[in-house]
Amino acid sequence: MEQYKLFIDGEFVNAASGKTFETIDPGTEAPIATVAQAGKADAERAIAAARKAFDSGDWSGLSPVSRMAKIQDFADQIAQQGLRLAETESMESGRIISYAKYAPLLTIVLLRNLCLLAATKFPWEEEIPVSGNVFAPGREYIRREPVGVCVGIIPWNLPLEIAFWKIAPALIMGNTIVLKPASYTPLTALIAAEAAKAAGIPNGVINVIPGPGGELGKILCTHPDVDKIAFTGSTAVGREIMRLASDTVKKVTLELGGKAANIILDDADMELAVEGAVFGTFFHQGQLCESGTRVLISSKIHDEFLDKMKKRAESLRIGYQMDPTSHMGPLVSKTQLATVERYVKLGEEEGAELITGGKRVEVKGINGGYYYAPTIFANVNNKMRIAQEEIFGPVVCIIKYDSDEEAVAIANDSIYGLGGGVFSSNTARAERIARGVRTGTMWINNYHVFADFCPFGGYKQSGVGREFGLESLREYTQVKRIHVSSMADAKSNMSFQLMSDYKKVDGFSYNCPTNVVAGHGALASISKAVVDLGCRRALILTDSGVNKAGLAQLVKNGLADFCVGIYDNIASDPDLETVDAATAVARELKADCIVSVGGGSVIDTAKGVCVTLKNGGKANDHLNMLVLTEPQTPHIAIPTTAGTGSEVTNIAVLTSKGAGRKLFIVDTRIMPNVAILDPRFTMSLPKDLTVTTAMDAMTHAIEAMTSTMANQICDGMALHAIRLINENLPLVVADGKNEKARLNLQIAATMAGWAFTIAQVGLAHGMAHTIGTLHHVPHGVACGIVLPKVMRYNVDHATDKLAQVAQALGITTAGMTEHDAALAAADAVEALMKKVGHPMRLREVGVPEENLAICAFHAIADTAVLFNGRPVGDPNEVLQIYTQAY
Amino acid sequence: MPYYNYPRQADKKGVKAIPIIKLEPGVSQAIRASLDDKGIQQPIRIDLNFSGCCDTLLCLHADTILEADLTLELDGLTFVINPDTYQLVGEVIISHVDEMGRKGFVLTSSKPVGEWDGFGVSDIKI
Repeated sequence: MEQYKLFIDGEFVNAASGKTFETIDPGTEAPIATVAQAGKADAERAIAAARKAFDSGDWSGLSPVSRMAKIQDFADQIAQQGLRLAETESMESGRIISYAKYAPLLTIVLLRNLCLLAATKFPWEEEIPVSGNVFAPGREYIRREPVGVCVGIIPWNLPLEIAFWKIAPALIMGNTIVLKPASYTPLTALIAAEAAKAAGIPNGVINVIPGPGGELGKILCTHPDVDKIAFTGSTAVGREIMRLASDTVKKVTLELGGKAANIILDDADMELAVEGAVFGTFFHQGQLCESGTRVLISSKIHDEFLDKMKKRAESLRIGYQMDPTSHMGPLVSKTQLATVERYVKLGEEEGAELITGGKRVEVKGINGGYYYAPTIFANVNNKMRIAQEEIFGPVVCIIKYDSDEEAVAIANDSIYGLGGGVFSSNTARAERIARGVRTGTMWINNYHVFADFCPFGGYKQSGVGREFGLESLREYTQVKRIHVSSMADAKSNMSFQLMSDYKKVDGFSYNCPTNVVAGHGALASISKAVVDLGCRRALILTDSGVNKAGLAQLVKNGLADFCVGIYDNIASDPDLETVDAATAVARELKADCIVSVGGGSVIDTAKGVCVTLKNGGKANDHLNMLVLTEPQTPHIAIPTTAGTGSEVTNIAVLTSKGAGRKLFIVDTRIMPNVAILDPRFTMSLPKDLTVTTAMDAMTHAIEAMTSTMANQICDGMALHAIRLINENLPLVVADGKNEKARLNLQIAATMAGWAFTIAQVGLAHGMAHTIGTLHHVPHGVACGIVLPKVMRYNVDHATDKLAQVAQALGITTAGMTEHDAALAAADAVEALMKKVGHPMRLREVGVPEENLAICAFHAIADTAVLFNGRPVGDPNEVLQIYTQAY
Repeated sequence: MPYYNYPRQADKKGVKAIPIIKLEPGVSQAIRASLDDKGIQQPIRIDLNFSGCCDTLLCLHADTILEADLTLELDGLTFVINPDTYQLVGEVIISHVDEMGRKGFVLTSSKPVGEWDGFGVSDIKI
């Protein structure tokens, strides 16, 4: 009789205890071989070998392509052992030879398919283009790395194949493995070990230790050097393995029991359904976890189906597994035979009707063997134990149902969810049912189909994790995320600042790609801009006031044939519904370019439309920060005010009714592609709007300078914007037709926009947003009123910057202390406001005094406040400022 | 000290003497507690339990006595087992564990039903 030894650390060795056991041919009850019986010491030795092999990097450190070459050699050695493997598989497990002969081929193909997948398509490293954390810029990527030492514990029903369901993904992904085959069927795993050795798989990478699960299970599942356990077997044992593994928090994948429902619909092809049900239940003597051992049959065809299935079952040839004419072989053991008999008796006790089978079979010419007849129970209630518990033998329960819904309910009335089937001539109907059944695999008009790239595993108590495909490869890796900070400076790290008194952010990234075309008649550039953007169908977005003033028509004329329409239903303070409505029009007109003509509300709406048009869905789906990875629908902005700066900024402010406040889209990719600053578009802007929008720009510029994110480039933009506003606003107020002054104000607004889009704003904007939302005070008005008060509030935290602002506002600061110069800047802003007739107090614009306190609480939560030069934490301080401005 | 059942004459008509069940210390109290918890007072059947995919284990479940059963009354509890099952498994030893998240009954037998004999813990099924 052949003798097999344990395979540990590249060698075939006896068990430390010297113990052996016999494997039995279930078809004859004759012994096949003696096998060394592993015990605790052998398990520890195998784990140590696997640990050492993994840690050495000889296998785990190979590239996937290099590992693929070795795996191919392994597959070739399996092929060399093919005949021996097929015969041994058949003899030890009772698998009919006409099925077992495929086992080596399936193993070879699995190895080759998965190693190629791992080497060519598996995402070992993935860049994350957008991290989702706007405060910590950097390169983000993930690596998938091997888990480490894996333990594979496998059952006796398909010993060779299931061994490789564990060995293949474990090795291919760079792990090492200790495999414990079932004690009934250890031989094919040990022959595979011979193949591994012949292929030159490094010592310790594969170890095979047959032995009793009760003894080895505990050490394999609790050893600290084991990183992962992959188990196929019963739910009861799997549950215990999971419990044991939890002590050291090991990764666990479990493929457990099943009680699959094979649903035969009333429109099924009868012959196909009968064959499918017979194959689904009785193949491999029913000893497959996913077997369809509950056949749910429509009451409309029940009697005809049952009659045909009975005849077909009785026609199956039960014989010795090595006989190529056998359809079914023996059960694997005497115990399994007894279990099946016990359940059959139970079925009769429970009141099910035995239609056929229910008895042992004697095979002619064979003395002994564990043969059992295919058995059919009818009139089964799904609550019976024979319908709920897995029998793992050739026993099927026929359950009648009346409707599709009832069939699905019966199918789901099980603690298991591993496999299932639907037979129907209506694919749509079958798929609807398949989707309703809570199980890991559903076969339609077929059964027992496995495929290397198709995941297999359970819902509910049928298991955790998946075999096959990319999913199985992932199970044998773990994910490491690596962040490489873009700022290698403590003073540029916003997170570190939380524990520091230094609140400024010194480093910065300046990215403002908008193409600005400015000057008298700049509108003439628009058709070239459209062409350069690769567009042909431009939709003009505007508001009714601008449209009535004839400005939209000017743009339409400039666009000529490129214009597909004008949409002017955009009010100030646009909300998400406004964006959705405009997007619907753009979709209908198949616009490929958006031209916004208006103030900040129109331009921000257009930004929202560009994102929603590009990415689909609704505006509410896109209220995110820094998540876009592609260019959006092209946008040309033509401001008709000189204040918002929105024509160059990375922010769109939109009101959300659901949130009850303004929310934002923030992204470099929403900056308009082109901004056209043509003074004709602001010539008709009324005086009060000219003044308030200019103060909005002034607030942008000053807050950008005092922000914690302030930087030299933005300071330069801001200071010149302040100069331009200070010099030109009085000129425009005096003569609204002063085109040069109008243009200078537009340029100032754009420069202030560049400044704040990078350097951010501060408390003045937080306060302005609040009274804008709660009391509908126009944004520019609100900014102007609170700005000087906030400048004084910030004076000790931005003294040098405010002193520069004073100079830009024309104050001669020679002889002043820096502090005095900073305060003079606030005075100069107030003086300018008085000069041009800007409202000076909140009471003038209808803000009730009794609401100031609640405004302070809201303002302090505004995002803009995060970047204020002086930290803002006390709402009482904000209330004081509101009171001063009142 | 473990409890033993010695072969004895049947006390009731039709009740056959059962060979051996061994209860480890603490088991009968644990069984009583489990039954009280479930609000039932029924005989305990020792049976084969196939919880799927290849492994047969022994289990306990509350059940009624059937005609052919072998029965045992022990420490105020009634145990039953199907004679075919007994023939297969031999003497059954029942122990109870309650340690580190592992609580329940462990069943082993003189003729193990499978290689996972004694590995799992289970409660009394209803």
